[in-house]
Amino acid sequence: MPTDVLANRRIRILATLSMIVLAIFVVRLFQLQVIDHSKYVALARQEQEKRLIIPAMRGELYVMDDGKPVKAVLNQTVYTMFVDPEIVDEPEKVVKTIRQIVGGNTVKGYEDSVYQEDTRYVVVAKKVSYTQAQLVREKKLKGIGFQAESARVYPEGSLAAQTLGFVDVDGVGQYGIEGMFDKQLKGTDGLLQSVTDVANVPLTIGDKNINIPAKNGKNIALTLDRSVQAYAELALAKGIKKSGADAGSVIVMDPNNGKVMAMANLPTYNPGELNKIQSFAQVNNGVVATPYEPGSVMKTFTLATGIDKGVISPDSTYNNTDYIRVDDRVISNASKGQTGTITMQHALNWSLNTGMVTIAERLGDGSINRTARDTMYHYLYDKFRLGQKTGIEVYGESAGRIISPSETEGNAVRYSNMTFGQGMDLTMVQVAASFSAMINGGTYYSPSVIAGSVSDEGVFTPEAQRETYGGIIKPSTSAKMRDMIVKARTAFYADNDRKGYTVGGKTGTSQTIVDGSYDNGQTVATYLGFGGDTKPKYVIMVQVSGKNKNLAGNYDAMPIFTDISNWIIDYLTLQPKV
Amino acid sequence: MARGGVATKLTELGRRHKPDYRVPLYMGLLMMLGLIVMYAIGPQRAQVMNAAYGTDFTATYFFAKQALSLFLALGVFVVVSKIPLAWWKNNAQLVFTVGVVASLILAIGGAANASFVQCSLGACRWFDLGVFGSLQPAEFLKLGLLVFGAGFIAYRAKQGVINDIYKTLIPLGALLGLVVLLVIGLQKDMGTGLVLLAIIASMLLVGGVNLRVGMIVLGSLIALGVLMILVAPHRIDRVTTFLQGDAASVDDAGAYHIAHAKIAIGSGGVTGVGIGNSVQATGYLPEAINDSVFAIMGETFGFVGLVVVLIIFGALLLGLLQIANRLTGLYEKLIVVGVFGWLASHVILNVAAMTGIFPLTGITLPLLSFGGTSMVFIAAALGLAFQLSAFTSHQVTNERDKYENSRSRRGLGRTRHASSGRM
Repeated sequence: MPTDVLANRRIRILATLSMIVLAIFVVRLFQLQVIDHSKYVALARQEQEKRLIIPAMRGELYVMDDGKPVKAVLNQTVYTMFVDPEIVDEPEKVVKTIRQIVGGNTVKGYEDSVYQEDTRYVVVAKKVSYTQAQLVREKKLKGIGFQAESARVYPEGSLAAQTLGFVDVDGVGQYGIEGMFDKQLKGTDGLLQSVTDVANVPLTIGDKNINIPAKNGKNIALTLDRSVQAYAELALAKGIKKSGADAGSVIVMDPNNGKVMAMANLPTYNPGELNKIQSFAQVNNGVVATPYEPGSVMKTFTLATGIDKGVISPDSTYNNTDYIRVDDRVISNASKGQTGTITMQHALNWSLNTGMVTIAERLGDGSINRTARDTMYHYLYDKFRLGQKTGIEVYGESAGRIISPSETEGNAVRYSNMTFGQGMDLTMVQVAASFSAMINGGTYYSPSVIAGSVSDEGVFTPEAQRETYGGIIKPSTSAKMRDMIVKARTAFYADNDRKGYTVGGKTGTSQTIVDGSYDNGQTVATYLGFGGDTKPKYVIMVQVSGKNKNLAGNYDAMPIFTDISNWIIDYLTLQPKV
Repeated sequence: MARGGVATKLTELGRRHKPDYRVPLYMGLLMMLGLIVMYAIGPQRAQVMNAAYGTDFTATYFFAKQALSLFLALGVFVVVSKIPLAWWKNNAQLVFTVGVVASLILAIGGAANASFVQCSLGACRWFDLGVFGSLQPAEFLKLGLLVFGAGFIAYRAKQGVINDIYKTLIPLGALLGLVVLLVIGLQKDMGTGLVLLAIIASMLLVGGVNLRVGMIVLGSLIALGVLMILVAPHRIDRVTTFLQGDAASVDDAGAYHIAHAKIAIGSGGVTGVGIGNSVQATGYLPEAINDSVFAIMGETFGFVGLVVVLIIFGALLLGLLQIANRLTGLYEKLIVVGVFGWLASHVILNVAAMTGIFPLTGITLPLLSFGGTSMVFIAAALGLAFQLSAFTSHQVTNERDKYENSRSRRGLGRTRHASSGRM
């Protein structure tokens, strides 16, 4: 057979073979694309469709500034910086850039990251700012990447740190408002079900995408006034330094609505630098969380009870011998020598324990019997709402304790001690709120730090007033108490106050219980007072303490009160009496 | 080789007439399709590459580069179709030697970690030419083997010793052995090796080897193939992957590749998801614009689109065989048959791997895949066929048929004309 004839026959074999193969392909494609189409669509969807969480923005916190909410805690996008060692082609340059631009944010061992093998993701720096990230990006180095995340930013630093609380590394609110309102601040994460590329970046391809937008957390506005808070912290810090004390707390409250204008505690911390926290004391909001024996400031409550029950008046007299016997105990005055027949005002001015015990006796027609104790308990617990949680919207509030006369411990000795503020555990917020009721005409306003909420568009919606309890004492009692408290202050310290304003207050110096018994070598200084023009406009309570320190209400706590009081008169633009 | 004799024959190619314009037509159609795909998935591809490798590709990079390759390939097509076959015949050894030397330089450079050599996963297949891109010397080997092998086989066939083991098969075997050593052994490129074997095998078949020799060749090729698979672990993986089918774990790269090619094709359905809607191209399917372009087209254009692609390839392949059929000289026939073998093996190996009916060999889909070297050399090969299509002759072939002895005439019969007419 001639070669080209054979060749042409073979060519036809090739043609037939290739057509058979192409036909097989068509059959195979028919199987894949038509018969098994739905199976592969399912496989494709299973792989391509991702359910992505759209993180809700955590609500931001506002404080008041001149009556308007301003941001005190806000969110900022920060970046976690990583390297992909496989792509890095200039390792020395990468390390140098990291050191130069984000040196303060690097993680340990970042220098070696670029040389790591068998990995394509090594974190080298955290909380890198947008500006830093841009600077690094401009270097156009290969193998550096950024992941955005949201972080809390505190433009005011440690201002009101214990009240605000903080957000931990897992994004959970801790302490303060952050801890109390974690759920509301967190919001509800949204859901995006979408076809994505291999790196999980959503694509606009496909019609089965689900998009449930995130519901951002609630923005909460606090009643705290930025300026009052800042000044209270400053005054407290100065006072503590002067006294050589370790710790202190201040609460400033509006007695006409229970709104807390400032709540300061020292030592404190910066919520933006959590790694620097050394002790629990720094994050503890002592004003609400740490009950203590307030001491002589509680004498005002004994007087208010006596006056309201009609057993005494400010001018009622008793015979002061500096000592008074209650059952098997003899109670003495801290300052002695004011003996003889003196008025209750005099007893308050000199902070005489005997006068207070006398009032308790008069409540029981001569002895601190069950009737007297029931009356005291009724006023302290039921009316002034002491020894129980106020419900203030901050994490970690303590109830404190006032022992009921129905308990064996609630005997006459205890109740005699309670007349001058010992034998009871109260928080400052309780005392400040009750004191407000005492001097405002007799209405107890549940204390609050929540002013309202702010929408994402910035519209402020005020929160409703918390529970109020009217008529806890007669208005006339309240008027008499104001008068007495002003007199108690002006008797010794009148020169310190701005002229033309009503400022009153009471000192307290209480022993602390060390190992179960009162220790005279360690006393806590307290001052509780109010100020205003025609009516009280602010209540300030100050407490200063220190380990093995004898701190006195008049020397260590009162100057802080005076400092804040004189400043706040200007700040609130109160009008002097003419 | 008796160059003189062949040169005389060349002048007797026959009267020059209009070439077969179906060749550039089908080639152009496929090129345009490839360009559309690059336009559609280029931006996604750039994004994936930039994200994964820190590169800086622009959205239009792949489209522009493909367009450039396309113009270059068209230029090469024209130039090659103008260079007389005689030149190719005279310089067959030179082209082949260039391929061999380039492959050797590549192997040495790769071992020495030279900067002009691109290696990945231990296989050094490309020269890095900087701004000019990269070049795969194996393509020179294909072209060289085509023109050189055609001459050798045609010469032996004319001598009537095509089935002579010592004169034909051993020299050819030695040549193939060298090429296989370079391509499969050093460059670890099984796909290209199979294409080279397909070029020679199709030329041998048409050159007229008998059944016995054919079986010997086939048997030794299978033995060689098995050996090659056994010495390279990644090939064993690919074969086991293929044998396991859908049950293969997708942790393995090869299994992942095939599984995702099938997902891409299967999810395309009858009419496809449409241009710009390919999801597999966003990083799921490896080599989306290169070896896997068929799968991406399947997702984008569906069953209808892929059948159209296969029809165009089929028409081009049949067109080549028709040209070969009508050429009078065996050497010319073999050149065109070799081009057919080259193109067909590329298409078949690629499509078979993408549809999961043959193990993955890592080979481009001619004229559609991204990449200049492959396109330019396929265009060159088609240019050769196009040149020869101007010298076909029905007349001569028909006249010869008349003088056949009756025995072979019975074997051919009238149907042959009918079938060849349909081609």
